[in-house]
Amino acid sequence: MSASDDVVIVYVPRDSAAKSVGADAVAAGIAAAADRPVHVVRNGSRGMLWLEPMVEVSTPAGRVAYGPVAPHDVEGLIAAGMLDGAEHPLRLGPTEEIAWLRDQTRVTFARVGVVDPLSAEDYAAHGGLAGLRRALSLTPAEVVAEVTESGLRGRGGAGFPAGIKWKTVLGAESELKFVCCNADEGDSGTFADRMLMEGDPFTLIEGMTIAAWAVGASEGYIYVRSEYPDAVDTLRAAIDTARAHGWLGKRVLDHDFSFDLFVRVGGGAYICGEETSMLDSLEGKRGMVRAKPPIPALEGLFGKPTVVNNVLTLGSVPMILADGAEAFAAHGVGRSRGTQVFQLGGNIAQGGIVETAFGITLGELVDGYGGGTRSGRPVRAVQVGGPLGAYLPTSQFDLPMDYEAFAAAGAMVGHGGVVVFDDTVDMAGQARFAMEFCAAESCGKCTPCRVGAVRGVEVIDRIVAGENRSANLKLLNDLCHLMTEGSLCAMGGLTPMPVKSALAHFPGDFGTTTEEKR
Amino acid sequence: MAQTHEPPHIRLANEIAVQFRHRDPDIAAKEIAVHIQAFWDPRMRTKLVIDAADPASGLDPVAVAAAALLTPPR
Amino acid sequence: MSLIKEQDYGTPAKPGEATVAVEIDGKSVLVPEGTSVMRAAAEAGIEIPKLCATDNLDPFGSCRLCLVDIDGRKGSPASCTTPVAPGMKVRTQTPELAELRRGVMELYISDHPLDCLTCPTNGDCELQDMAGVVGLRDVRYGYAGENHLDLETDSSNPYFDFDSSKCIACSRCVRACGEVQGTFALTIEGRGFDSRVAAGAGGSFMESDCVSCGACVQACPTATLQERSVVELGMPNRSVLTTCAYCGVGCSFKAELRGDEVVRMVPYKDGGANEGHSCVKGRFAFGYASHPDRQLKPMMRERITDEWHEVEWEEAIGYVGRRMMEIQTRHGMGAIGGISSSRCTNEEVYVVQKMVRAAFGNNNVDTCARVCHSPTGYGLKQTYGTSAGTQDFKSVDKADVILVIGANPTDAHPVFGSRIKRRLRQGAKLIVADPRRIDLVRSPHIEAQHHLRVMPGSNVALINAMAHVVVTEGLVDREFVAERCEDFDQWEAFISGSEHSPEAVEEITGVPAAEVRAATRLYAGARNATIMYGLGVTEHSQGSTMVMGMANLAMATGNIGREGVGVNPLRGQNNVQGSCDMGSFPHELPGYRHVSDDAVRTAFETLWGRTLQSEPGLRIPNMFDAAIDGTFRALFVHGEDIVQSDPNTKHVTSALEAMDLVVVQDLFLNETSKYAHVFLPGTSFLEKDGTFTNAERRINRVRPVMAPKTGKHEWQIVCEIAQAMGYPMKYDDSAQIMDEIAITTPTFSGVSFAKLDEVGSVQWPCNDAAPEGTPIMHIEGFVRGKGKFVETLYVPTKERSTRKFPLILTTGRILSQYNVGAQTRRTGNSAWHPEDLLEMHPHDAEVRGIGDGDTVSLASRIGETSLRVKIDDRMPVGVVYTTFHHPVTGANVVTTEHSDWATNCPEYKVTAVQVALKQPVTAQSAQTRAVPAMAE
Repeated sequence: MSASDDVVIVYVPRDSAAKSVGADAVAAGIAAAADRPVHVVRNGSRGMLWLEPMVEVSTPAGRVAYGPVAPHDVEGLIAAGMLDGAEHPLRLGPTEEIAWLRDQTRVTFARVGVVDPLSAEDYAAHGGLAGLRRALSLTPAEVVAEVTESGLRGRGGAGFPAGIKWKTVLGAESELKFVCCNADEGDSGTFADRMLMEGDPFTLIEGMTIAAWAVGASEGYIYVRSEYPDAVDTLRAAIDTARAHGWLGKRVLDHDFSFDLFVRVGGGAYICGEETSMLDSLEGKRGMVRAKPPIPALEGLFGKPTVVNNVLTLGSVPMILADGAEAFAAHGVGRSRGTQVFQLGGNIAQGGIVETAFGITLGELVDGYGGGTRSGRPVRAVQVGGPLGAYLPTSQFDLPMDYEAFAAAGAMVGHGGVVVFDDTVDMAGQARFAMEFCAAESCGKCTPCRVGAVRGVEVIDRIVAGENRSANLKLLNDLCHLMTEGSLCAMGGLTPMPVKSALAHFPGDFGTTTEEKR
Repeated sequence: MAQTHEPPHIRLANEIAVQFRHRDPDIAAKEIAVHIQAFWDPRMRTKLVIDAADPASGLDPVAVAAAALLTPPR
Repeated sequence: MSLIKEQDYGTPAKPGEATVAVEIDGKSVLVPEGTSVMRAAAEAGIEIPKLCATDNLDPFGSCRLCLVDIDGRKGSPASCTTPVAPGMKVRTQTPELAELRRGVMELYISDHPLDCLTCPTNGDCELQDMAGVVGLRDVRYGYAGENHLDLETDSSNPYFDFDSSKCIACSRCVRACGEVQGTFALTIEGRGFDSRVAAGAGGSFMESDCVSCGACVQACPTATLQERSVVELGMPNRSVLTTCAYCGVGCSFKAELRGDEVVRMVPYKDGGANEGHSCVKGRFAFGYASHPDRQLKPMMRERITDEWHEVEWEEAIGYVGRRMMEIQTRHGMGAIGGISSSRCTNEEVYVVQKMVRAAFGNNNVDTCARVCHSPTGYGLKQTYGTSAGTQDFKSVDKADVILVIGANPTDAHPVFGSRIKRRLRQGAKLIVADPRRIDLVRSPHIEAQHHLRVMPGSNVALINAMAHVVVTEGLVDREFVAERCEDFDQWEAFISGSEHSPEAVEEITGVPAAEVRAATRLYAGARNATIMYGLGVTEHSQGSTMVMGMANLAMATGNIGREGVGVNPLRGQNNVQGSCDMGSFPHELPGYRHVSDDAVRTAFETLWGRTLQSEPGLRIPNMFDAAIDGTFRALFVHGEDIVQSDPNTKHVTSALEAMDLVVVQDLFLNETSKYAHVFLPGTSFLEKDGTFTNAERRINRVRPVMAPKTGKHEWQIVCEIAQAMGYPMKYDDSAQIMDEIAITTPTFSGVSFAKLDEVGSVQWPCNDAAPEGTPIMHIEGFVRGKGKFVETLYVPTKERSTRKFPLILTTGRILSQYNVGAQTRRTGNSAWHPEDLLEMHPHDAEVRGIGDGDTVSLASRIGETSLRVKIDDRMPVGVVYTTFHHPVTGANVVTTEHSDWATNCPEYKVTAVQVALKQPVTAQSAQTRAVPAMAE
């Protein structure tokens, strides 16, 4: 963003999290109250949500942050000389030096909060399109190989190697192929997809375009949940801009390659975050889980070979191509390579985005970055990986964030959502909620999930009420086994995870029989 | 209501004749004769042959020529 | 006899050779690639428990009963959705699997009424069966939990109930409605535990798009979707395999009975024409067979103004024989004749034509095919050498482009319509040539690439324009033409003329030239392109020309003689093909051999012991003309209501009134019997024993499920009339008649009841050269040798719109009714179509001040009738449409004497008419309200 020397550039996030706490009023207030010409840039959020709205002022010494700034703080801040980066109780110092941010490894989120999300110039100036340009200089097979070597795994939760999926689509014979981005971010405590789409949409567009080149696709769809209207608007505006700049459409960047991209808005069903349901929904049908095989890579959208990846997966691709597979793979541990964008939420003092290499422990995230609970009470349980993830006690805080380590502990990293509960939580209630959630959000196709979840609620109620406790505990165990083994998709298959982890780590919350009390 | 008053065999013969109007009249007459011979009841053929002799029958000239080629009923 | 139960392999068969070897429970089995583990197991004789899988639907994987254990695979994959892989080792029974299956059943039963003993499907319920198979002994969840047991039953459909409380949400009905029928009327509503089957947008079945084909009822594994007849009568206990007596598709059904009472008709999975599918007529509309309106005793009267009186068979038959002979004595041999029925069996038709030729001693026999597909017989015989369609229905599964001309399969040939839709959903392209925007043009998940809205009467101009494009744009299959055809050069010169170009005929056809060119390129460029046509082709003054035009187009593009191509008539009635095959036309002996062929005639004369006439007899319209002339005095009408179905009703009734003797043989008194002197009661298809031949030349058995309610088979009656006329004609049973057909007719020489019982059905020619029949014709060469190109000159019909009659009326059928409605009007089907409506474009209605539902007069230069209007923009401007199912409408009161030049098939599809408002709908409803008051 270029502005003449005498105009001060002020950044006020447009991110919907920031807007929900008054960012729009703050931005308007600054424009109105400024004692000299200002240019207010509506950037993405830096991810320190407890500091939102966080205002940044461009000074000769770099960007200086203030936050959280309430609308009524604006006048005082201006008076105190905020536009010169002056001191104030809300002054956080140079943004880049804020420890919380400084200690992270921002790869996927490198531009989020830094740039004007809808500025093509900003995007190009901050390293945008380098990945796509390099990709177009390679053959599709070489791009696939690069992604495979990077070790990038699906960030949506399943952790399937992206390169292998792409290779399957590349190898499939079809005149028509698709790239679909799953942006139906429905897991509780997750918001990274949204923040990337709102804060740096061109990265996702570039990632999808690279994917399209790599597999031979000509059309792409971004399936965004209806609860994300700002992300939808931002994406649509960014796609229009990208088309206008020749980044999308016929002859992308003047290469013999056409790719166009469309946003589709979901209908509010959690299950449409499951990739095959999402494809049904994209086709205009009711979102129902499809049996696999056939896998979407071979028979996906409208029966054509389709790449389905999460926002963060596709958002990581431009960097992998720009900096090379090795640079990406240099981060991480074991088979979990690169960085993960963790999202701290729930009862937590410092919630927000922590992008860092795999291998950080759960405790470092919750106690370190998160700063413990917001209520100030002790942490009792942490649910990682969304509503179907395991509940972990503090005794497992040394668990490294790593797909395999989590799986071994009966848990999952999932989409990187970390939801914290203090010691007032009723874990039987949480277990019951898992079943209740499944009963409400199941696509209704398979029996273990559709009927089992309802029975699960009832059995937990009976256990808690002390009715035939041992028989019902056995029944709950049998039901969990049936759902895990017998369900069609991960929805029913994973619902037992929070239930069983709650039972395993917090058995006392499930009541006791009279005999046991004695 | 206005009804067509021409006798059925005249109407039918004319309807056949018009289908052959792009053909050489001699060939057309032959083909029409073959058709009528194959598909028409003898009493209709007889009527056609009789009416073909009447210049006021309203028969298409090609149909008249065809009638001349019909073999009498066995 | 017991109930026939076809084996359910769980998932559809995969095409191809069996090349993948797998081991299931220690048994080796070889199956085609892509076969599911479930089906492979079934092939090996191992049944894996299942509920959501059935072999006419794609695997779904929802019930989770069919889980198996596969070496090297983690977890328990569903066998229905898992394809076999070479060397795979599968176990279908382990303690772990047993526990999972019991767990699943436990969940199902925890939300299911425990009323098995009083449930209508008791004993025929897959849920019940599976509970037994998995050994469910206990439902530990109890029955007090959340459930759907209080949901109400939807009884809106006249034939089946939908009891949602029994639904296990397996989606078989939803999938059947989509995958099999192609209507997509059903869906699953709600999420999670609230997921329920719903019709349309949540209303009742009758309010939805449901066409009542019965596929959902058949698919349902529980009592959720259940025929009401089963609810009322109980489970049937025996099955008889037979053939539907409605349209020319010829669906095979299991008539399921208790004693002699038909409980339900269930489409037969091994039926060659329908492969287990059905429509609302065949599946449900059989109640007419036992309708109280049926006349079961013969009746006579001196004059048609007299009252009928019932008589014994002997008296009626004796009278007919005597009167026929008297009339011949007074007015000559040729003064009597008969009309055979395309509704009757081959055997019945054969004896009717034999009676006419041998006992009447003339060739005055015709059939109702005269008024529908006679141009097909003529046109395909001229060009290809056989009066029949070239393909079997299955062939359409290989077609890449389907050209539908003047046919509305989803209404008139619904089961084949569903097959076309399925092929279209698989990616085949569609071209529709029809004035109306029929359902195929656009309906769920299908859309025609081109809809050529051809003006009625201009078909030949259109087909010539298409041929012109083929010839002038270099789209001719030169190799095929050179090798297989004759007269091509002459035809090419003719059709290349600029007067045939799409641009030149645009004004005539109303179809934009660019559209014609694009559609032709699509047709000609396809690997396999097929033509399907109906009465919109034949019922024109150039019906035969059009048939030859289509034959030309198919030959020029090489689309003949293999799967996926061809020229195929969609026959209107169940046995149109058969009645033509059996020698019903006045110029042809059985097997389409001309009466003037001495060798053929001699063969029949030898067998029949009578001298046969070598001259053609009268066609139906000729009979009427001759009757008015006074030279034709007596008519035997077999199973056809000519007064309602033939054109120009006034002319028909005048002819009948002029006759000395009209004998009607039918199930019901009808419009024609009003002019009859003798009424001979007929048998319904449930009483018949014989064969029907469908549109694909498939000879299907019709087996009696009960003795004739009238005491006599129809063929017996015909034989007895012949005997009464002094001609000895006697058979022990209908099998003997087929044996005689086989002896006399080369294309049928391999056909016998025994053969049909053995193989199910065969498609003629079935003889020594083709002992198993001939699904596809003209493979090596054409039946006539070389395929003949015929110059098809476009000659406009004489029926034109004028200032007085500015609109063009075209007629057709609707799904729920059949022909003159004699059968369907006597069933629950009238719930869908209680009256004939005049469909009209909004513009045509508006300029006449006509609103939807108003009663109008419909007048042509021939006659006038009145009916109510349905405003519908699927009609083009200037064209109106109605059906002829209801005698009260009398649509044929207005149709004209114009007919196909070659065959005299009436031009039903083009009548110039005027429409005028008679009574606005509001006034009418006021009057309707007044009626009960007056009745009091």
